[in-house]
Amino acid sequence: MTGYVLRRALQAAAVLLAITAAAFGLFYAAPSDPALIACGPKCDTGQVEAVRHSMGLDQPLATQYADYLRGLVAGRTISDVDGTPIDCAAPCLGYSYTLHQPVLDAIGDRFPVTLSLAGGALAVIVVLGVGVGFAAALRRGTATDRLLSGFTLVGASVQIYFLGYALQYLLVYTTDLFPVPGYAPFGDGPGAWAAGLLLPWLVLGFVNAAVFARLARSQMLETMHEGYVRTARGKGMSALHAHLKYTGRGAAAPLVQLLGLEAGALFGGAFITETVFGLGGVGKLAVDAVVQNDLPTVVGTVLLAAFFVVLFVALADLVVAWLDPRVRLA
Amino acid sequence: MTSALHTDPAPAPAPEASPDTVLRVRDLTVSFGGRGRSVTAVRGLSLDLARGEVLGLVGESGSGKSTVGLAAMGLHDAARTTVGGSVTVGGTEVVGAPDSAVRALRGARIAMVFQDALAALSPFHSVLEQLAEAYRLHHRAAGRAEARERARAMLDRVGIPAARARDYPHQFSGGMRQRVMIAIALVNSPDVLIADEPTTALDARVQRQVLALLAELREESGTAVLLITHDVGVVAATCDRMLVMRGGEAVEQGPTEKLLHHATHPYTRALIGAAPTLDTVPGTRLPTVDDPEPAAGTGPVAVPEGAAGAGAGTAAARRPAAGPGSAGTAPGREAAAARAGRRGPLASGGGSAADPGSAGTAPGQAAVPGRRGPLTGGGGPVAEPAGAVLAEVADLHVSFGGRRSLLGRRAEPVRAVRGVSLRVGTGETLGLVGESGSGKSTTARVLAGLQRPTSGSVRFDGRDIARAAVDTRLRRALSRDVQLVFQDPYASLNPRRTVEESVTLPLRVHTDLDAAARRDRAVELLEQVGLSADQLGRYPHEFSGGQRQRVGIARALALRPRLIIADEPVSALDVSVQAQVLNLLMDLRDELGLSLLFVSHDLAVVRHFCDRVAVMRAGTVVESGPRDEVFDDPKAAYTRELLAAAL
Repeated sequence: MTGYVLRRALQAAAVLLAITAAAFGLFYAAPSDPALIACGPKCDTGQVEAVRHSMGLDQPLATQYADYLRGLVAGRTISDVDGTPIDCAAPCLGYSYTLHQPVLDAIGDRFPVTLSLAGGALAVIVVLGVGVGFAAALRRGTATDRLLSGFTLVGASVQIYFLGYALQYLLVYTTDLFPVPGYAPFGDGPGAWAAGLLLPWLVLGFVNAAVFARLARSQMLETMHEGYVRTARGKGMSALHAHLKYTGRGAAAPLVQLLGLEAGALFGGAFITETVFGLGGVGKLAVDAVVQNDLPTVVGTVLLAAFFVVLFVALADLVVAWLDPRVRLA
Repeated sequence: MTSALHTDPAPAPAPEASPDTVLRVRDLTVSFGGRGRSVTAVRGLSLDLARGEVLGLVGESGSGKSTVGLAAMGLHDAARTTVGGSVTVGGTEVVGAPDSAVRALRGARIAMVFQDALAALSPFHSVLEQLAEAYRLHHRAAGRAEARERARAMLDRVGIPAARARDYPHQFSGGMRQRVMIAIALVNSPDVLIADEPTTALDARVQRQVLALLAELREESGTAVLLITHDVGVVAATCDRMLVMRGGEAVEQGPTEKLLHHATHPYTRALIGAAPTLDTVPGTRLPTVDDPEPAAGTGPVAVPEGAAGAGAGTAAARRPAAGPGSAGTAPGREAAAARAGRRGPLASGGGSAADPGSAGTAPGQAAVPGRRGPLTGGGGPVAEPAGAVLAEVADLHVSFGGRRSLLGRRAEPVRAVRGVSLRVGTGETLGLVGESGSGKSTTARVLAGLQRPTSGSVRFDGRDIARAAVDTRLRRALSRDVQLVFQDPYASLNPRRTVEESVTLPLRVHTDLDAAARRDRAVELLEQVGLSADQLGRYPHEFSGGQRQRVGIARALALRPRLIIADEPVSALDVSVQAQVLNLLMDLRDELGLSLLFVSHDLAVVRHFCDRVAVMRAGTVVESGPRDEVFDDPKAAYTRELLAAAL
């Protein structure tokens, strides 16, 4: 077990290293000059060169990459455009000359929003997706099944920017049924926090729950006819009890795996949802950085998203192994 | 045949509505599917099971026997199944009763053991938990500790050591798992145990042990057993009475001894005689049931008595010297009858019914004269095994696994084959027999060029073929001469290819015959295996299991190979179909002078079909020699054990 965790951690580190290398390559592949952007449009050639030197961009690529990695692990000192040293503590993701703050700080400012949004949406996904899927499977072939399956099809086919704006218009601005969406820090009171995020949670959750519901339904239907479910009923267990205890467990593994991927993706930021509801999360930060050629921030957010995907996929594997003793952690 | 399940004299069949009847089935009809298309699996079945009695419910696949068991448990999916008639367990009606009422019976008064214990046990819970759960469901007042105590005692009773109670099903062997399954079924001392093919997936020795355990427990508790099986041998060894089912209906029922020796219904006789036993005269034609798919409302099945003449006579006569030790084998029925006199009850139907199905091969044979020439180089029916060696392995070792993983320790490799040496002579059939995990299939795969040996030499016709599994050209050259027949005729034919496409594929790969010539050859092949030319355009799903296996055999014959490797070619088939396919293989071998490597776990089938036999255990050959030597005078203790375990 310990060996497994260690191996997985090393694998994760390798994956992240590959991603930093790929993202770092962006600096050079992208048709833009970080020094020019950092310096601003009014700089002359000499000033740009000075900036280039102070940013270390005139160093060989390998040196810069090594500096970046060292910053990640041990922190480093970065020069601002005018040469003032900026202390960037580990894990240093670089300095954004657009935002005039270290990338990690920029992410840190927005991460609570992303964390709140992703966490709530995941809860909605699990409850709605698994609940609807299981209910449909238990009543397969009936009107309930068709209704629930149709419901999930709507979720799978509708776009967030449509559903989000439509619901906002109908439920918030026309009827006043929901509070105005927005982010209030959890520390300022859980009530306001939850109220502001309620609609974003439901929308993001519903759209993503559709895939879950469909997978949960088909997994359930497949597992329902397993011998061990029949054995449980043969012991005198009620059908519902047997399905909850045995079918549910048998159907869980692919759902957990998918949930791991989903969680990884959501914690990396949900740009569309954030935009629709005016939430300043990591997704919006990342897209803004791309638009503004803010390469340090782009690399930082890409790395963050990759980190969460790797983390949650590994967690999902552990959960699957815990659920099914036949799974060997290797 | 000794009776393992009971030592007391058999209780008389229960009279109508006797208070002693624990399971009473009347006019049971079960049909699946609604909305117009429905299939009736069981039609008007009635049976009584008295306290402590063992009733064998015998039938081939599709006979409805398992459906009866599930209906007795009330376990059918109500939404898709219509159950009519009456099933009472200890006086309580099951059919149409509310779920809560049936639930009170299930696991308490009536319990079930399924064929595949690995599938039937939860992979997520320890065996102790699963057993304790079965107890607690019917002892609501019992605490967890009490249930565990009770579960431990039960595990101990079925021979699972306490130290293993917290292990999971996948950590146990097949026999141990079935013991757990039995423990779960019997933990609440039910009146009725429904055992659906409880030992079918097990090796013969383990089957013996499990049946003996069932018998002991039955005697202790007085639980009546409804034993559902396709295997007449199991019934003969364990049941007081038997009921033969076919096409959803009861064909015949009565005391086991009576049915085994003096069945009135021809289907019963055919079923009993279809499987070769260790007393059947080797190489004789096996009796088969005339039509493989019974029509709805089957009447008596005509199995012409005494029509065995030509078929059986030639089959036995064709190999006068089939192996050095068998010179005394007399052809025809007299020998069968003579041997039947001194053998067990199972043989009573032996060697008498003709097989119109495979009789269809006779015209096919006549239509292709001179076939033997090009294939065998004019060789006689049987070459001396010691003579021309066609294929051989020497000191073969095959290991699997043992790869090093990232940061991982090197896993211990599985040594599947450890020093096997075998020879298949030209025109000879070598039987490779062993239990599961003995390495027999791996050895066969090496000879087929599908598995690279870890060490040792592999030769076909003098040529080194050890690298065939990794050398495409060598493998391709080898496959002209070596073809395979597989166990599962459902999995081994591409469902999207017509029979013609499947059968002619080897010709397309290996010959430059044009489409017309390939078709001609396909027609010839189908006729050879007892199918007809108009079936060329059909797809596998339109055929029964036995017909599919015939297609598989036709495909293997397409290139006129010099060696056919058949890995359990009949073990997935019903006994009557198995008899047809074995008869066909014997005909073809005779007609074409084939050399065969025949892999099987079934001693009786190997004895019936093979010239020489090699017995494998744990990757080594423990004994090999001419058939009669191995079977009549086994040298290895393990061989004797296997023979003793065969039912």
